[in-house]
Amino acid sequence: MSALPSFFALYQEAVGRALEDLVPASPGPASPVIDAMRYTLLAPSKRVRAVLVMLAAELCGTNARAVPAACAIEAVHAASLMLDDLPSMDNAPLRRGRPSAHVAFGEAVTILAAFGLLNSAYGHLVARYDAALAQRLAQVLSEAVGLDGLVAGQAEDVLAADAEINFDTLERIHRRKTGVLFSAAATAGALTAGGSAEDVGALKAYAKNLGLAFQIVDDLLDVTGTSAETGKVTRADARRMTFVSFSGVDGARELAAELCATATNALAPFGRRAARLKELAEFVAARRF
Amino acid sequence: MSDDPERPDRVNALRDQLRALGYLDARVDRFVLGGAVGSTRPIAFAFAASLRIGILAGVLLGPAAAIGLRSRAPGLITSTADAVVVAIYLAVFFGLAATLVSALAVWLGAEAARKSHVGPDVPRRARRGALAAGVAVTLACLAYLTLWWRAAAGPEQATLAWSLAALAVAAAISLLLGHVVAVTVLALLARRGLGDWLPPGLPLSSPKTLISLGVIAFTGAVVLLIVSAPARDDSPPLPLTVVPTGLRTVVIAVDGVDVATLERLRATGRLGAFNRLLGRSVATMPSDPDRDPARAWTTIATGQPPERHGIRALESRQVAGVGGRLRTESRFWSALAAATDVLRLTRPAIASGDERLSPTFWEVAARAGLRTAVIHWWATWPVPQAAGIVLSDRAILRLEHGGPLDGEIAPPELYDALRQAWPARRERAAARANLLAVPGPSEIVASALRRSAELDATILDLASDPAVSASDLLVVYLPGLDIAQHTLLGSADASGLAPSAASERVTALERYYEFLDDAVGRLLETSRSEGRVVMLVTQPGRLAAPSNGILALSGEAAGIGQLQATVTTVASTVLYSLGVPVAGDLAGPAATQLFAPPFVVAHPVRDVASYGPRRTAARPGAGQPLDKEMIERMRSLGYVR
Repeated sequence: MSALPSFFALYQEAVGRALEDLVPASPGPASPVIDAMRYTLLAPSKRVRAVLVMLAAELCGTNARAVPAACAIEAVHAASLMLDDLPSMDNAPLRRGRPSAHVAFGEAVTILAAFGLLNSAYGHLVARYDAALAQRLAQVLSEAVGLDGLVAGQAEDVLAADAEINFDTLERIHRRKTGVLFSAAATAGALTAGGSAEDVGALKAYAKNLGLAFQIVDDLLDVTGTSAETGKVTRADARRMTFVSFSGVDGARELAAELCATATNALAPFGRRAARLKELAEFVAARRF
Repeated sequence: MSDDPERPDRVNALRDQLRALGYLDARVDRFVLGGAVGSTRPIAFAFAASLRIGILAGVLLGPAAAIGLRSRAPGLITSTADAVVVAIYLAVFFGLAATLVSALAVWLGAEAARKSHVGPDVPRRARRGALAAGVAVTLACLAYLTLWWRAAAGPEQATLAWSLAALAVAAAISLLLGHVVAVTVLALLARRGLGDWLPPGLPLSSPKTLISLGVIAFTGAVVLLIVSAPARDDSPPLPLTVVPTGLRTVVIAVDGVDVATLERLRATGRLGAFNRLLGRSVATMPSDPDRDPARAWTTIATGQPPERHGIRALESRQVAGVGGRLRTESRFWSALAAATDVLRLTRPAIASGDERLSPTFWEVAARAGLRTAVIHWWATWPVPQAAGIVLSDRAILRLEHGGPLDGEIAPPELYDALRQAWPARRERAAARANLLAVPGPSEIVASALRRSAELDATILDLASDPAVSASDLLVVYLPGLDIAQHTLLGSADASGLAPSAASERVTALERYYEFLDDAVGRLLETSRSEGRVVMLVTQPGRLAAPSNGILALSGEAAGIGQLQATVTTVASTVLYSLGVPVAGDLAGPAATQLFAPPFVVAHPVRDVASYGPRRTAARPGAGQPLDKEMIERMRSLGYVR
């Protein structure tokens, strides 16, 4: 299965509308920073992380309060993409099927826009939730972004560029750059629905395995996909160590499928209620974009 | 890339690395925890996971224990089907035991780990708690399996290669169970909300750790095996060389003999045959206080005490679905039998030869190359191969019912001839029993006498069959007197009898002595030959009064005199008379004083270290076992309730 599951559209629409509100267009004179923020945040995307927030909340009872958290996660993700694509980092010219933010707006504006998105994410949580929940969600987000999360992962990735790295290091980079935000998304969704510690534990196990599978498939698409399919430059990782370097294309596919199966198994306590999350895992394993 | 021949190895290595990093999950972990993920309460979670561990342990330990039980409970497992059924029973037993043990270990491990408040030492405590629980289960399982191997392995399996292979399997099973217990402890901690604090990776799962622990476990198992080795002589039994004495031995075993009554009747001159049998050398033997006939007569036949020959009671238990039997002599087994009776898992059965561990004197003589024949002795069914002529304690039932043999008679070729002669034999026996007329007896007395007399007459008629009697050793067991005596004086019906009724029964019994004397006399007449000696062996039967048995020797080689002996001297004395070496591990020496001094001088006792364990062979099994008929017959004769 390579097409997005049909239920995605519902959540994409709900989150998309909310993202418009998160970073409204400048009412006055044009602001390049706001434009750059909206350029990346509102660009056509699968919104996998946001959907994960919604589904996790739904699984734990209700997604009625999940949209702001989904928006915050998407804002953080967009900020991280803007920074990752910078010339000083991955120097990626394409993102989401169009020129990267730094190509469109310049480096300085992009850096400021990324900080703007991060700031908006935390502000959004504080504005939309009660203090206790906002505090919990901010903590989750902070951990995902911080020194054992996106920042640390990107730092290690940049410093390890062109160097021989071992499997443990590669896993750590992927976990920090991708996995933690998946886990944060699942946790945030569960928290907005008042999920129990058991629910959060199961969803974290799901997200951890799914996050790594997602990254392995990303590595695979870099080798086997086209720019038209993925919306970004392919073969960009040709000189870097990826999962495909360690296991080969078939091995990587095998491991990704096993990780998705493990993710699905972690949801066994939820029974049929977890059907959509299971479908999401199947999509991740088979995606072509 | 898909053509890369090293790809599978590489992917497997990556898979292991991912598992160590907390991704994926081992199939066994998934199996164990899969049953628990739906449990919301920690105690339910621990129990649900432990139930899966129990299933795993049952599947792994059940078959192993069944093999072990085969050695510990001889006679229980007689076929592959028996082994499968016993393995299933034991799998359930071990499954339940392992469930409880692992639930306890998981709970204690988790409690130890979460004792302190959540803090930086939680990862260390969690790992320690999980490891402690896992290691405890591993050690317990490894010790059990190693000692099981020590107890279960017979001489064929106890080779170095087999032992090392068994211990390697034991170490693997133990580590596997320890691993899943450790994983369950961590899972329980996660279920209690400590997931964020748990250390990455799983204990007892990385290849390096597993290899190291495997080596340690294996070495420990080898050391335990060596340390627990009993000092035993595994050398094969020495060949038995017969130095012919020129004697043919007839053993007449009479159960239920009251020595005082016998002497009183002899004094009146009414017992001519017994007079001849008791006229030379006679030994008095204190009998076993336990009156169980199968126990007492197997002791006589093997020359070993019950704890060595294995037949401790006439009644054993048959486990539902299993052809073999379980002995119930200990309190534990009796309690278990009572409990399982309620559940219809066991039912009474008669002790069989499969449960006997020591060879009988006729089996030893047959192994030494002598022609032997034994009729109706206890615990002789099923008959082993190459044990001479054996008409087992089920032979008469088989001859009555017909149909294919199921180990009742050996050699099987004898069956057709005996079956053909059966109607005439029964008629003769009935006719002889009718001679046992007591003036005006009550029906119960007449019936008891007739039934006993017919049985004894049939046995003696079989013994006089030319195909049977032409043996170097002829052994006949006569239960009739004991049956009659037990029915007339030992049953519940006999308590509170009026003196006249009691007198009538005593008179009837005295008449039975005369009948027996006549019947034995006829046998001795028909089997008269040069060099024959007759050994009369008696036991007091099932009456509770303390009494002695007799071992008397008559014939040309017999001496003259009175002496004391024990029931365990019979076997060695019979074998001595035939020139077979006497085993040093028999409980009683040969009673050479029964023989004339010139005979003893000419034939000194030769010895051999041991006859070794009893050799059994699978019976053909073509026929339908007569288990039900046997138990009913024993019930009707008052042996079992």
